[in-house]
Amino acid sequence: MTTLKFLGKRLVLSVFVLFGLSILIFTISRVLPGDPVRMALGSRAPQWAIDNLREQMHLDKPLYAQYYYWLSGALHGDLGQSLVTRRAVSSDIKEFFPATLELALFAGIITAVFGVVFGAISGRYANTWIDNTLRIFSYIGIVTPSFVFAILFMLLFGYILRVFPTVGRLGAEVAHPPVITGMITIDALLTGNLTAFGNTIYHLILPSVSLALGPMAQEARIARSTISDNLSKDYIAAARGFGVSERLIMFKYLLKPSLIPTVSILGLDFAGIIANAFLVELIFNWPGFSRYGINAMLNKDLNAVSAVVMVLGIVLIIVNIVVDLLVIWLDPRIRLGAERGK
Amino acid sequence: MKNRREISLAFKEDIVKRIIAVVVGVIVLSIGLVALAGGMLRATFSWPTYIDPAVGSDFSSSASLINLYDSLVYPATSGDPLPCAATSWEASDDSLSWTFHLRHDITFHDGTPLTAGDVKYSMDRLTAIGEGYAFLFLGRVANSEVIDDYTIRFGFDKPFGPFLSTLYRLYILNEALVEANIKMPGPYGDKGDYGKEFLLTHDAGSGSYQLKEFRLEEELVMTKNADYWLPIDEGAADEVHFIGTTQSSTVRTMMSRNELEISDQWQTSESLTALGAMEGVEIAEFSPGTEFYMMINTRMPPTDDIHFRKAMAWATDYTTVTDYLFPGSTPSRGPVPQNVPGADPTVLQYKLDLDKAREELALSKYAADEYEVVLHWIADVPDEEKVALMFMSNMAEIGINVKVVKVPWMSVVEEMGQQETSPHIVTVFDSSHYPEAGSLLESRYHSSSAATWEQNEWLLNDWYDAKIEEAINTVDRDERFVIYGELQQFIVDQCPTIFLFDQVEKHAYHADYVDWPVARGEVIPVMGYNIAARLIKVDN
Repeated sequence: MTTLKFLGKRLVLSVFVLFGLSILIFTISRVLPGDPVRMALGSRAPQWAIDNLREQMHLDKPLYAQYYYWLSGALHGDLGQSLVTRRAVSSDIKEFFPATLELALFAGIITAVFGVVFGAISGRYANTWIDNTLRIFSYIGIVTPSFVFAILFMLLFGYILRVFPTVGRLGAEVAHPPVITGMITIDALLTGNLTAFGNTIYHLILPSVSLALGPMAQEARIARSTISDNLSKDYIAAARGFGVSERLIMFKYLLKPSLIPTVSILGLDFAGIIANAFLVELIFNWPGFSRYGINAMLNKDLNAVSAVVMVLGIVLIIVNIVVDLLVIWLDPRIRLGAERGK
Repeated sequence: MKNRREISLAFKEDIVKRIIAVVVGVIVLSIGLVALAGGMLRATFSWPTYIDPAVGSDFSSSASLINLYDSLVYPATSGDPLPCAATSWEASDDSLSWTFHLRHDITFHDGTPLTAGDVKYSMDRLTAIGEGYAFLFLGRVANSEVIDDYTIRFGFDKPFGPFLSTLYRLYILNEALVEANIKMPGPYGDKGDYGKEFLLTHDAGSGSYQLKEFRLEEELVMTKNADYWLPIDEGAADEVHFIGTTQSSTVRTMMSRNELEISDQWQTSESLTALGAMEGVEIAEFSPGTEFYMMINTRMPPTDDIHFRKAMAWATDYTTVTDYLFPGSTPSRGPVPQNVPGADPTVLQYKLDLDKAREELALSKYAADEYEVVLHWIADVPDEEKVALMFMSNMAEIGINVKVVKVPWMSVVEEMGQQETSPHIVTVFDSSHYPEAGSLLESRYHSSSAATWEQNEWLLNDWYDAKIEEAINTVDRDERFVIYGELQQFIVDQCPTIFLFDQVEKHAYHADYVDWPVARGEVIPVMGYNIAARLIKVDN
């Protein structure tokens, strides 16, 4: 019941956060220099065409009226027309968001699995050569931007070794599976198209690893730190005193409580991957949401900019709620504390 | 004996192993499929691309449209019109109407015959929407009339000399298909959205290639039209991919793996050097009819003084620009690139001559250091900064102080919208939209283009406006070109612009298995037409 109450409270608060965010981004996007309609139609478009489009987009009205039209449309699922792709922004999001979500999910899985594994190994063998070696790699991962990894991987695995594809989501010779979720891996599995499934995984490896290395290194350091700290706690010493096996101590008594800070950061990293995948998407010509968002900003595509920021806001809110629920599940003290406080 | 837990673990391990085996197997199969690629032409472009003939007008859109659609006439390498969907044409004695006779054997990609009604529909739709290349016909073509199934007549209120050249941009749509896919309601009254949503990701053409798939933000895929009315060389690619990236590391990697046949034109000189060093890759160079201008505001001091402007023009080091900053380009001679039909090769060409610069400055009503000259260069084109800094250094030689400012394109467009906010100088690339000098002479200096990014000069000269309109209204090509010459002499004499260089477009391409006419010097001087896939042989 407490968890449900917590969830309800967070959802209500989220509505206010999104409302504030919508006002902010709507205002900022409209006060930037440049006439978006003139940019979209070109300098040689006749004035009547410019005026027509301006009227269609309600840009001939005061800012508050524009916001009203935009908000009422958004509440009905109509996010307006994109000036760059020339179609409904909601259609763009439907097409581009799953591509980035698929990429971010793969990167997230790599981050979570390898971050925790390397962190656990480092923590278990703290201050040994194993820990020191992993620490060096972690520091390199943390300080290197993902686009640098992307270029290095492309040169190494695409240009020199030629073992991985370098552009797109699917090879030219492989037919796209019908769009169900927009994530090709899932759609391919749902339609039993294993060729498309394998080919997509093959295309996903380089960009997702490029995106994952930074967050993974960070997770590893955090996991290592908490595991190393918890190893010196009394309850671990007591468990050892009772003759509990090291394996059981590690996986049952040590890992779960040590994962709490890691999971918290992982959530933020996941949202960050979606928002910041722009350069990696550009390098691998991945038709994703992050790239779409940056193009929208560069072209002053008003509706697209507002929609992209709102979607990212929603992603961040959902991820935060999920992380909080995970933390509650991982740490009974938080749940019990909340119940005692009610 | 194994307990239940061990059996369960063994079972799980077996499942995991099987899944891994299947995934690895599928990936290997996929790699094999990719390796079997053949008969494919892949080219990179700057995105976005619009394949609606009433919307697209940039480079990638134009290149896509000429593959997907037919036009009434087709440009020769000289820029002259050749028959295409029209077999012949004639103008009326008063030049107020043009009649075109169409081929009878053209069918659209869905098998529907192409008729005069489709041509009329395409013109009506283009001018009603007003986007893309509509500006070429708006205010000029008064009406279009279907005479019979294969004869169409266009009417004009006054003669329109370069009409045939502008028809390279009228792409013929399948009326029935578009009408069947109109979305109601829309901004075009009873025409709803005029099929704009449908044509965003579908083609309704009769061109040598037809759309297979268009993934916005990623790539456009076209396949050869087996029923095309014109024989297509067997060596032409079966499938064409236009890929939306100009990222140099991506382009280089793709080119090295034979996954890219022709690169985009936006590669840096360093990237082109690396690409040219690859085995089998060569650099094709041709002039696209684009010129790099320093547009001078003639309405504010000190650049409102003709002698001050000429002093700057004589003090500019043109050869450093063409030899080092934009290698391969050629110094401009006047406002029209020399490969554009109608360019006058006799107009004065400014060169670096500091004595002449000082002479002009002495005649100016302003002292050299009386004002600071503000130059805005476009932040989106980093190479322009080198030119801006060189110019600042050149002007310092004659005592003129130049302030160089990096400005985003959006802001430049905004500030050029008003005379008061236009800076002294803006650096801009511009090109002709149909292969005639009149295109640039009109769009660069006619009063109607003031307040757009194409004219920072604010020339606003009645004589010039009347003269360019006279030229455009002259049907006889030779007579028209004579007037173009007068206009170019006038512009060079007034010196409202520093004409820096005629751009050379450079593409890396796989010369080892691609036969690209452009590389043999067969260049069509109309944007996009050099990427006509049916003329490019690919042996991969």
